[in-house]
Amino acid sequence: MSITLLMCGLLFGGALAWFLEGVKAQSARWVSLLTVLVIGGYFAIALNATAYDFSTLQLLVRVAWISSFHIEYALALDYLSIVLILLTLFLALICVLVSWQEINDKVGFYYFNLLTSIAGIIGVFTAVDMFLFFFFWEVMLLPITALIAIWGHENRHFAAIKFFIFTQLSSLLMLVAIISMSFIHYQQVGQLSFFYQDWLTLDLPLSISQYLMLGFFIAFAVKLPSVPVHSWLPDAHTQAPTAGSVLLAGVLLKTGAYGLIRFVLQLFPQASVNFAPVAATLGVVSILYGAKMAFAQQDLKRLVAYSSISHMGFVMLALFSFNAIAYQGAVLTLVAHGLSSAALFALAGMIYSRIHSRDLNHMGGFWLNTPRMGGFALAFSAAAFGLPGLANFVAEFLSLVGAYQRYPILTILAAFGLIGSAIYGMVLFQGVFHGKCQVKQQAVNDLSSRELLVFSSLLALLIFIGFYPNSILGFFQSDSIIIAINNTVGVSK
Amino acid sequence: MTQLMLHSLLPVLIVAFGIVLSLLLIAWRRSQKLILIFTITIFSVALLASFSLFVDLADAVQVTTLVKVDSYGLFAFMLVLVASIAVSVLSSMWLTHTTEVHDEFFVLLQLVVLGAGILVISDHYASLFLGFELLSIALVGLVGYSRDSEFSVETSFKYLVLSACASSFMLLGIAFIYSYSGSLSFSTEQLMFDNMSDLSILVRNYGHGDVLFYRVGFLLFMVGIAFKLSLAPFHLWTPDVYQGAPTPVTLLLATVSKIAIFIVLMKCWFSQAIFVDTKSSDENMLFLMSIFAIASMLIGNALALKQQNIKRLLAYSSIAHMGYLLIVLIVISPQSVALAWQSALFYLTAYVLASISIFMTVQLTQYHHNKSELNVDDWQGMFWQNPSLAVLIIVAILSLAGIPLTMGFIGKFYLLNVAVQAQQWWLISALIIGSGIGLFYYLRIIFVLFTIVNEKNIAKELIPVSLTLSPAVNFSVMIVIILSVLLGIFPDLLGNLLVTVN
Repeated sequence: MSITLLMCGLLFGGALAWFLEGVKAQSARWVSLLTVLVIGGYFAIALNATAYDFSTLQLLVRVAWISSFHIEYALALDYLSIVLILLTLFLALICVLVSWQEINDKVGFYYFNLLTSIAGIIGVFTAVDMFLFFFFWEVMLLPITALIAIWGHENRHFAAIKFFIFTQLSSLLMLVAIISMSFIHYQQVGQLSFFYQDWLTLDLPLSISQYLMLGFFIAFAVKLPSVPVHSWLPDAHTQAPTAGSVLLAGVLLKTGAYGLIRFVLQLFPQASVNFAPVAATLGVVSILYGAKMAFAQQDLKRLVAYSSISHMGFVMLALFSFNAIAYQGAVLTLVAHGLSSAALFALAGMIYSRIHSRDLNHMGGFWLNTPRMGGFALAFSAAAFGLPGLANFVAEFLSLVGAYQRYPILTILAAFGLIGSAIYGMVLFQGVFHGKCQVKQQAVNDLSSRELLVFSSLLALLIFIGFYPNSILGFFQSDSIIIAINNTVGVSK
Repeated sequence: MTQLMLHSLLPVLIVAFGIVLSLLLIAWRRSQKLILIFTITIFSVALLASFSLFVDLADAVQVTTLVKVDSYGLFAFMLVLVASIAVSVLSSMWLTHTTEVHDEFFVLLQLVVLGAGILVISDHYASLFLGFELLSIALVGLVGYSRDSEFSVETSFKYLVLSACASSFMLLGIAFIYSYSGSLSFSTEQLMFDNMSDLSILVRNYGHGDVLFYRVGFLLFMVGIAFKLSLAPFHLWTPDVYQGAPTPVTLLLATVSKIAIFIVLMKCWFSQAIFVDTKSSDENMLFLMSIFAIASMLIGNALALKQQNIKRLLAYSSIAHMGYLLIVLIVISPQSVALAWQSALFYLTAYVLASISIFMTVQLTQYHHNKSELNVDDWQGMFWQNPSLAVLIIVAILSLAGIPLTMGFIGKFYLLNVAVQAQQWWLISALIIGSGIGLFYYLRIIFVLFTIVNEKNIAKELIPVSLTLSPAVNFSVMIVIILSVLLGIFPDLLGNLLVTVN
């Protein structure tokens, strides 16, 4: 299986879409849809056909790239990356579908950016040479920033600059940490190396590793995002076009969590254990603060954005509990939140396309005309506050159960976040669909068949995972990461 | 003087000979086209000569005590020549709009290049000063060249007076250094090894008492260098001169002058062997350099934030970039010097390519808008009108901002490597903060390019009209874009060249 082919395919598809839009209008979206379908199909078939055991990291390709620094082009896969890539590809499909009518300006270039960013994100999930990882980490930002800055809403330039600077600054810290690690490798082994599995064998003194860990942690915490470095997120999510928001919430935030799991916890186990109380506290503060802020928003997309901060707090808390159950909960949260927040942002986009406003004060009483949209919205806000039977419930439940064994008090506080999420979920639903209608009734049509397809596929997945979480958790029973985590805790005790 | 020495001086000799020939050519026939072609030919021949020398040269060649030709200097000279060819081409676009014949311009340009050539190979304070003055005086003529422009007198006077001050400070500094070491050669060690032992004892004793003079001397010397590199706090002339000078000359100031001065500074600095770890280290010197570097990074970036005029913005950003580049001077041990050289040359290459790209676009659009002041907003919506030019700017800006896919990122990666190995955490923090501030104004330019312009909602003069570019221009634009991205993705193409030379 070739991940490189996957990324090249997406790039090529994007370029083709850009080119063909100039030849024949409206062809770009079909090309993009087809590209994502083909790539997704290829990935699924290749996964089935392969003989690797992905419960440990399987190196797929490793060739020299920049020889003066011993930098290599190395990609690897394990179940964590596979699940996240599948999520990415599925949401890419959703992104193409929600952009179908929304984008009318420079359509070809739009789809080019969309597919390029997907390619970059897949690169992030598979790179195991740290320079390569950083390369993808930065490159995926460019098209996403372009999506916000060109096709965003009224305040798009500000949001795009804020987003870019937050992520760029924090990732420079990570770059310094990466270079330091390779230099330590040079001191210990006599050769620079950026290869992840080489680094795992390094013997790092705690005094150094705690600073290096912080370099990585800050970069990933900004992406996750966690309080106090979250403030780019509400702006970026609000100003981005619908597909941009879906991509940001559904996939981009997951790169932060992925980084925490893959790099922070595994490269610096001891330093992470020492730092865990701070991180867990940050996670709980994010949960409560995000929920509180979501409740106070008038802007529909801002509300959903703050709810993302709240949900990602669970991931942070669970990851730094060093507990197998909590870890599974964290991974499941990534998937569940990816689906549910994507759905809510898609909802916001659909409402915006009908009434050209995101303000909750301008909404209300939509249920009369749009019962189907209302039904889905109810289901998705129920998912957001963790109704049993939907994926988020299992995810948050596992996270809390796991975390409770290590931080009982923090976990109890975190559980209040669930109440908060029920409140803002209801604010969202009632504000939009109940009450008196503010706009002309005729303006608000019910879901088109394309929108119906988007919503029903998302909901079907949420319900499926909710009832049968082992479809994902099964991959992580004998995961090497869990073993690593158990070892870490064993060492620290 | 052996044949080898003559051979290694060849590139500089070609340029010097070219100047004489140009003067004869002017006496024979005054034609702008002719002198342009001649100048470009001279530069190209010199470029070829330095390249063949660069490939062949096994070891550094000491030509008299004044000059030492090594592959690093040759590479820098190649960069100078490439930039000068770009300047010549841009000047030809600019000078056609007037009726006069401008032969002098090209002679002055060649003189600047000769000065730069002497600087990058000099190994002695005397040859340094020679090159320095040749460069400065010719530049004064060029900076004030467009007599009709409203800024020309102000600009050239500002540059002349400040440059003369800086030179005299530098001379005083050199005198102080001489009073300490008893030699005008960069490397004091060589004096000790080569000459009789009693002299070396003399030098050592002499040096022992008056180290203060040496320090003051180096400080004064740095005033001259910092002025030319426009390092804070000697940067005040930069924005005005950048803005007032004709665009090709601005490019010359930004590239040729800075490369040459920086290379000579590196040679001088590394000959003094001031390292973080060794005993001979002089912490005051390192501290001084760090202050220059940090101040330039922060001040340059902060002042660029509010600039509307593109040339002023680039002036401030160049201050910051010279600050970043100073990082390579602070290395821990003689073993790291090679990495420092590679980093500096890679970074300079990226910087030169980006500068050429941006000033080329400035020149093209300036002519189109028919105004001397080009603001960032004049580039509105260029991506949709002139995609190739816009991509050129985007790649250049991303390169300056140090974003992956471009050369600038690899350059920054080199610098960070040097800084991490020397464990200069303050410099690293300043670099990170500086890059963060820098993103504000770099991204603003890029967003302006992408603005979707509706004709009804903006003032009429801002509506972008598509430029028609000649095939030659289009071709060179493509070449520069491909080169900067290619070297950004496969830096080995250049990196290996720099590694294998020494």
